Amino acid sequence: MTETRAPNTLTPSSPAVAPGVAGAVAPDTLLRVDNLVKHFEIRGGLLGMSRVGAVKAVDGVSFSVRRGEALGLVGESGCGKTTLGKVILRLLPATSGRVEMDGQVLFDIPARGEPRRRPVYASNEAMKKVRQNMQVVFQDPYASLNPRMSVGELVGEGPLVHGMTDKKEREALVRDMLGRVGLNQSHIHRYPHEFSGGQRQRIGIARALALHPAFIVCDEPVSALDVSIQSQVLNLLNDLQAELGLTYLFIAHNLAVVEHISDRVGVMYLGKLVEMANVDDIYANPRHPYTVALLSAVPEPDPHRRKKRIILKGDIPSPANPPSGCRFHTRCWLREQLGRPERCTTEEPVLRALGSGQESACHFAEEISPEAVASAVASSGPTVTAEP
Amino acid sequence: MASSESIRSGAAGPTSTSTDTDEVDLVAVQTYWQLVRRRFLRNRTAVIGLVLLAFLVFSAIVFPMVGGDAWYRTSLVHHPTDPVSIDAPLGYDNLGRNIFFRLTKGLQTSLIIGFFAVLIITLIGTTFGSISGYAGGLVDNVMMRVVDIVLSLPGFFLILMLVAFIGGIVPPMMVIIIAIGITGWTTAARLVRAEFLRLRESDFVQAAKALGASDSRIIIRHMVPSAMAPVLVAATLGIADAVVTEAALSFLGYGIRDPDASLGNMLTAAQDYFYRQPLWIYYPGITLILVVLAASFVGDGLRDALDPRQKLEA
Repeated sequence: MTETRAPNTLTPSSPAVAPGVAGAVAPDTLLRVDNLVKHFEIRGGLLGMSRVGAVKAVDGVSFSVRRGEALGLVGESGCGKTTLGKVILRLLPATSGRVEMDGQVLFDIPARGEPRRRPVYASNEAMKKVRQNMQVVFQDPYASLNPRMSVGELVGEGPLVHGMTDKKEREALVRDMLGRVGLNQSHIHRYPHEFSGGQRQRIGIARALALHPAFIVCDEPVSALDVSIQSQVLNLLNDLQAELGLTYLFIAHNLAVVEHISDRVGVMYLGKLVEMANVDDIYANPRHPYTVALLSAVPEPDPHRRKKRIILKGDIPSPANPPSGCRFHTRCWLREQLGRPERCTTEEPVLRALGSGQESACHFAEEISPEAVASAVASSGPTVTAEP
Repeated sequence: MASSESIRSGAAGPTSTSTDTDEVDLVAVQTYWQLVRRRFLRNRTAVIGLVLLAFLVFSAIVFPMVGGDAWYRTSLVHHPTDPVSIDAPLGYDNLGRNIFFRLTKGLQTSLIIGFFAVLIITLIGTTFGSISGYAGGLVDNVMMRVVDIVLSLPGFFLILMLVAFIGGIVPPMMVIIIAIGITGWTTAARLVRAEFLRLRESDFVQAAKALGASDSRIIIRHMVPSAMAPVLVAATLGIADAVVTEAALSFLGYGIRDPDASLGNMLTAAQDYFYRQPLWIYYPGITLILVVLAASFVGDGLRDALDPRQKLEA
C-alpha cells in the first residue's frame, strides 16, 4: 500500500517563511536549511519496482547556522540526526528541501504538494568548491579512515583532489595539520591501524581541516571514544574553533557533550526539530516536554544525590509510520497532565518562537512549569538513585 | 578567507594540550602490503601451502622440459614391472611411458587449466559484480537475477553441454577453460558486488566524497583495493575447484584425452589396472590432493592476512 497521508504538513506553502528562520536571512548566516525532507523508500514487489512505504528519517527540518557558532543537534538514536548531516553534505540525496551554504544553493527541491518547479542542484564544479568549505568528521574513527592509506595520504587527499599536486607542498601542509591536532609529525607515514581511537579521530579532524573549511559537520565525533579521550577531542575541537573561527554542526546524543561545545542546541525527535534555543536557555528552561524528559535522563555525577527522572513510556515510534499530529503525543507526559487534549493528535505543531530566542514545537509549551515537571516526576514511579 | 590564512601562517604549534595517553609507538614504518606479507608469513599453514604450491608449479614447469617427449613416447623396451630407476622414479605404464614425466605433464595441464579458468572467472565476475554493486537499484537487481539464473542451472551439465557444442572447434584444454570460466563466475560476481555495496556506504568512501574526490578516484583508489581482497581469496580457492572439475571431466572422458596427459585422465587410465598396479591411481590422486590442499592453505592464509582490521600482535 502506498502511503496516502501527505508526509509534509509543515509549511507546505513556501520555504521562505519556514520556521526556525526569523524572516530575512541574517548577513552572518553561513548555512541555511529550509524544510529539508529525507525519506528512505521501502521498495518491494517484482525487482523492487513498487513503493511500499517510506522511512521518514528527516521530515521537514529548517534552521540556520551563523558564522562562527556551534550548533548542537541532539536526539535519540534513530531520530534522523546523522541523516540530516549527510543530506546537508549531499552525501545522501534529499527528497525535498533547500540547503544554502555561504550563498551557494546546494540543492532546492520542491516538496510534495508545493507548486511544481524544476529542482535545482549545484553543478559539479560548484559542489566541489563548496566541499572545500564544508567538511565532516565521522563518528567511527575505525571506519572513516581507509585502512590502506597512510596518514599522509589520508590527510593530503583533500588538497590533492583540489589541485595541490606538489608533493612537497602537500607534505608540509599535512605536517602542519598533524601538529595542529596534536599528533606527532613523524606519524605521517604510519597507517591507521597503528593508532588508538582518539588518535584516529585526530587524523579525521586533520583531514577535514586540511581543506581550510569554514564549516564542519561533526557527526557524533566522540561517542565512539573512551570517556577519558572524549574530553581531549572535545577540547581540541573547541580550541580549533576559537583559533580558526570554524562553524560546527555538532551532532550528538550525549547532552553533556553538546552543552560543552554548542552555542545553540536543536532537539530532534522522529525526524523533526522539536526545540531550538541557546544552550543556556535550553538547559535551564526547556520548553518542550521531550526536551524536559531528555534532560532529566542526564546522569548525575554525584552518587548521593537523588535523581529525578521522567521516564517516557514505550519506545520511540517507527519513523516509517509516525504518529499523527504531534509525533511525541504517544509518549508525552504533558499531554497526560493536561487531560489528553484533542489538538495533540490532530494538529501537527510547528516550531514557534516563544520569546527570548527560544523556539518550541509544542502546542502547550507555555504550560511547562517547575510544578508540572515535579508532578510528572512523581507520577513516573519511584525516584531512582543515579548510578555512580 | 581569514581562517585559512591563519592556518597557513600559524606555526605548527600544538593547539591541543596533549596527545592521547594510550599512544602506540611502532618503530617500523610499514606499508599495507608489507603488513600483509608479514601476517601471511606468520601463518604456518599458509607458508606450508605456499611452499607446496611453489614446489608443484616448479615441477610442472621444469620436469616436462627436462623430460622432453618422455611423457607420451611409448616403448616396447620398458615394462610396468621394470624396477624403478633414476630415469623413471615412478616406473613405466602399460604402454611403456615414463609415469613420472607423464604425471608432471598432467600436473602442468591441470594447473594451466586451473589458472586460466580462474582468470576468466575473476575477470567476468569482478566486472559484472562491480557494475552491479556500484550502479545499485534496478540495474543491480536485474544483474543479480541473471546471476541467480546462471546459478540455478546445474553447473556440471552446463559444462558437459558446452563441451559437446564447442568440443570440435577448439582444443580440448581451451574447451575446459572456457567451460569452467563461463559457468563459475557467479560467486566472484556476488562477492565483488557485496563488497561494492558495503564500501559505497562506508564512512571512508563517504569521507572521500565529502572531500570532493571524483567517482573514478573513489572507485580506483578506495573501493577496488578493498574489494579485491575477498576476490583474491576466492580466486586462490577457485584454482583448486577448477583443477578438480577438470579431473572430473577428464575422468568421464569429456576432457583431456590420451595421449595428452592430465591428472583426470591419468586417474581414468589407472582404474583399468587397479588390481595389478594399485599405485598408478595414487600418483595422480595424491598430486590432485596436494594441489587442492596447497591452494586452500594459501587461500585461507591470504584471507587472514588481507583483513585490515586484524592487528599484528608484536
